[in-house]
Amino acid sequence: MGLEPSQTSATRIINKLLPLLSILIPGSSQTLIKKTWRGISIFLITLILGYLVYWSYDNYEIGKAQINADKAFSWLLIPLVLFYLWNILDAFLLANNKKSSVLIAVLSASIILYVIGWSVTNVKMERLITRFDDARIVMKKLVNPDFFSTLQGEKIVVCGWDCLWDYSIARINGTESPDVFVSDNVGRIFGQKGTITAPTWTVLFGKATKNERIPGFETGKIVETIAIGLMATLFSTILAVPISFLGAHNIMRRIPGGTAIYYITRTFLNIVRAVDTVVWGLLIIVWVGLGSFAGVIALTIHSIAALGKLFSEEIEHIDPGPVEAIEATGGNFFQVIRYAVIPQIIPSFLSYTLLRWDINMRSATVIGFVAGGGIGFFVLETIRMGGYQQYAAALWAVAVVIIIVDYISSRWRFNILKDQPQKVDNIPTWKKVRNIVYIILGVIVFLYCWEITKINLKYLFDPGPTFGRLLKDFITIDLSTKVVNNVVRELIITTMQALMATTLGGILAIPFSFLAAKNLTGKSKFSAWIFYITRSVFNILRSIEALLYVAIFVFWVGIGPFAGMLALAITTYALMGKLFSEAIENIDTGPIEAVTATGATKMQSIMYAIVPQIAPPFLSYLIYQWDINIRMATIIGFAGGGGIGMMLSTFFGSLQYHKAGTVVLAIVIIVAVMDMASAKLREKFV
Amino acid sequence: MLKIENLCKTYPNGTQALNGVSFDVQEGEFLAVIGLSGSGKSTLLRCINRLIEPTSGKITWNGVDVTAATGKEIRNIRRQIGMIFQQFNLVKRSSVNTNVLSGRLGYVPTFPSLFHVFSKEDHDRVKNNLDMVDLADKIDVRADSLSGGQQQRVGIARALMQEPKMILADEPVASLDPVLAHSILKYLEKLNKEFGMTVICSLHFLDLVHRYATRAIALKDGYLVFEGLPKEIDDAQFKRIYGKEAERIEVI
Ligand SMILES: Nc1ncnc2c1ncn2[C@@H]1O[C@H](COP(=O)(O)OP(=O)(O)OP(=O)(O)O)[C@@H](O)[C@H]1O
Ligand SMILES: [Mg+2]
Repeated sequence: MGLEPSQTSATRIINKLLPLLSILIPGSSQTLIKKTWRGISIFLITLILGYLVYWSYDNYEIGKAQINADKAFSWLLIPLVLFYLWNILDAFLLANNKKSSVLIAVLSASIILYVIGWSVTNVKMERLITRFDDARIVMKKLVNPDFFSTLQGEKIVVCGWDCLWDYSIARINGTESPDVFVSDNVGRIFGQKGTITAPTWTVLFGKATKNERIPGFETGKIVETIAIGLMATLFSTILAVPISFLGAHNIMRRIPGGTAIYYITRTFLNIVRAVDTVVWGLLIIVWVGLGSFAGVIALTIHSIAALGKLFSEEIEHIDPGPVEAIEATGGNFFQVIRYAVIPQIIPSFLSYTLLRWDINMRSATVIGFVAGGGIGFFVLETIRMGGYQQYAAALWAVAVVIIIVDYISSRWRFNILKDQPQKVDNIPTWKKVRNIVYIILGVIVFLYCWEITKINLKYLFDPGPTFGRLLKDFITIDLSTKVVNNVVRELIITTMQALMATTLGGILAIPFSFLAAKNLTGKSKFSAWIFYITRSVFNILRSIEALLYVAIFVFWVGIGPFAGMLALAITTYALMGKLFSEAIENIDTGPIEAVTATGATKMQSIMYAIVPQIAPPFLSYLIYQWDINIRMATIIGFAGGGGIGMMLSTFFGSLQYHKAGTVVLAIVIIVAVMDMASAKLREKFV
Repeated sequence: MLKIENLCKTYPNGTQALNGVSFDVQEGEFLAVIGLSGSGKSTLLRCINRLIEPTSGKITWNGVDVTAATGKEIRNIRRQIGMIFQQFNLVKRSSVNTNVLSGRLGYVPTFPSLFHVFSKEDHDRVKNNLDMVDLADKIDVRADSLSGGQQQRVGIARALMQEPKMILADEPVASLDPVLAHSILKYLEKLNKEFGMTVICSLHFLDLVHRYATRAIALKDGYLVFEGLPKEIDDAQFKRIYGKEAERIEVI
């Protein structure tokens, strides 16, 4: 009895004093009163913001405010101090069990991030206007791709849609007009007659000798791209399946030493996944040399890691009931897997594979930027030569292919996950015949793809001359101050590019996503048109990778981080627009009815019945996009979009592998850290 | 208090949900609307506050022509008439507090309400109304963490924020089990008896009609086929309303 009052007064005193700790170490008292994550976040954010303010002032004099001739400081210190003061207030409020709003914290952090982001990504909005004439030139070329040519005297010139139109009219009317024919460019993209290295089957049948040049059909770059995507998906799926069992805790728990293998596998997969396909391409070409084969390997490696993780998680989420049942019958480890695990995972594995196929096709369009195969290589060449109409033709070809792939993939996924019970007995004969035809077709396509992607397993065991040095230099990476400083600078720029692009694209997407939501537009004839147009614009823009857009913006606003940021913003706009509009289509109309019935105005019912329903999915999609953008930003530099990619390609190009190793390590760290942060955020808010 | 004359509703796809329905509602009544599924009960209730535009006919509310009311006028009428829904229609991710406050939107100016600014009185009203439905302790939890019966009580509290003269309830208990059904209807009965609010409530079970309603109307295929006291619904009437095949079943 006698102890209690003193105890409570002691805790009262502690509660009074505890918040003071946050004056010394921001976030510390929040951590102590069981708001661990809040505390740790506050501490880390204070450190990061502080460093950013110092760094940006030191390097770029961002936020410089002159007091007098020789005294100046960064005015960004004001929001920083504000953040710090908020932290103390927060500590006091929480200690007294009161609610504490994070508004001030978010505001002050945003001010710091966006002011620095705006400067380091070199945002020059006025250029969008002042150099609009350049943009007009590019746009004109983009809508008039090099598909047709005509003769002007002796010279072959590219001929736009208008000239094709004139020509057709002239043909119909029977009047004279210069001849119009399909361009060479179309042949390079889709395929044409020419000389080729003798394919394997001609060698096998004795029609040609090995490596002989014979007349034949040259594969188009887009066809090569499709082949790269297909092969990589096939290989990675086959390889990911066994690996995924090693990464599934519920399986590995069953065998001795399995838990250790599980952790090793998962860590390994995470590291491999953090390195983008394009960066893998850089490493692989040192190993097997330039070409489509390098592209296939790069895609396969990244894709194994991505699929392996998804597959493992899928295995971990199976229903344990059947496993128990098979065990109860006395089944051993492999029987359990065969009869209890595999039947459960097949549909989801198939659907992930199809999703991956879609992603791999997109990667295949850009892998050529570094690995030298597929349409990416072609695009790189056309940009170097300033052939914007050839570039435009390639973009259109990519858009068509990716839109088709996207459609097929989502259609099949939908059918698989619909999960209708199938009758297994009594397959009609025509279906059996059809299946055999499918299998034969599949084998032919496989062999053809093998041929045109020039897969040669021998190269795997015969690494290029500098590969040994690469391995050695990657172990002894360069951590000298100068290199580290430069890497940090590029890393900050890259992150800021992703931040600015996610913000810009996301904000732009919001109004347009309302236009593309079928439950809002699409009722009358006129608004149905709006719906279809906005949806199509989203789908077309979305089909082209950010890396391929950079060239347009380089022409428009000049080389550098701003161009890269805009390219990222375009893809963000397109994907977010699509996902946002789907979220709007999924809202529950009941609350709208209820709020309207109280006599609320339109604006009020949007605010109280629609916004609360769409805000969480919007937020979670933005976080998802942020993950994509941070990866994309690391490679955007390969096309002149600034950021760490530019540095990486320089180091690789000049064989400075120990510096390249530093950059790769930095990329792995930033991607992994951002992944963790966004996972935490998603858990918190969504 | 409410006068409905010759009300018709034809949906764009040609469905005739209401066919010349006419009836009066007196102040203080507890009027039950019965009828088979698809007979037009929901359509009727939603025409009264014009959530659905009637095709023809006239609705008069305390001398005001509802069918002719425009923009501001219709919102003014709506805020005098609270509504309760079968599916509760709460914003699931918002707190109970926000959901209940949203019942006040018809009274407050638009601009501050967009920033969630409400007066002290309105916050007090929330407390009182939640007290009334015995949910005072749930004010800060998210709506989707409540049970069905609790969600419907939040729905009632939201309607009470309007300080309504009349309450429209569209099958308020159809998503609840029979025991909860009585508890919800008891709240409605209390509003009717103690606060003198008029209630129009569509119901599925006849025993609930007998127990709570002071008068009943019945719809069949959009036609009004019965109007009178609950106890007048005898076997013959019952067959007319629900069809020849129907059997009376007793629930609790
Ligand atoms: N938006 C709509 N468009 C077209 N027809 C509709 C619409 N809403 C309702 N209907 C039709 O109008 C008729 C009456 O529907 P209503 O929802 O009013 O019936 P109800 O008596 O409330 O039925 P329930 O007991 O199932 O809720 C039904 O035939 C229904 O199919
Ligand atoms: Mg209904």
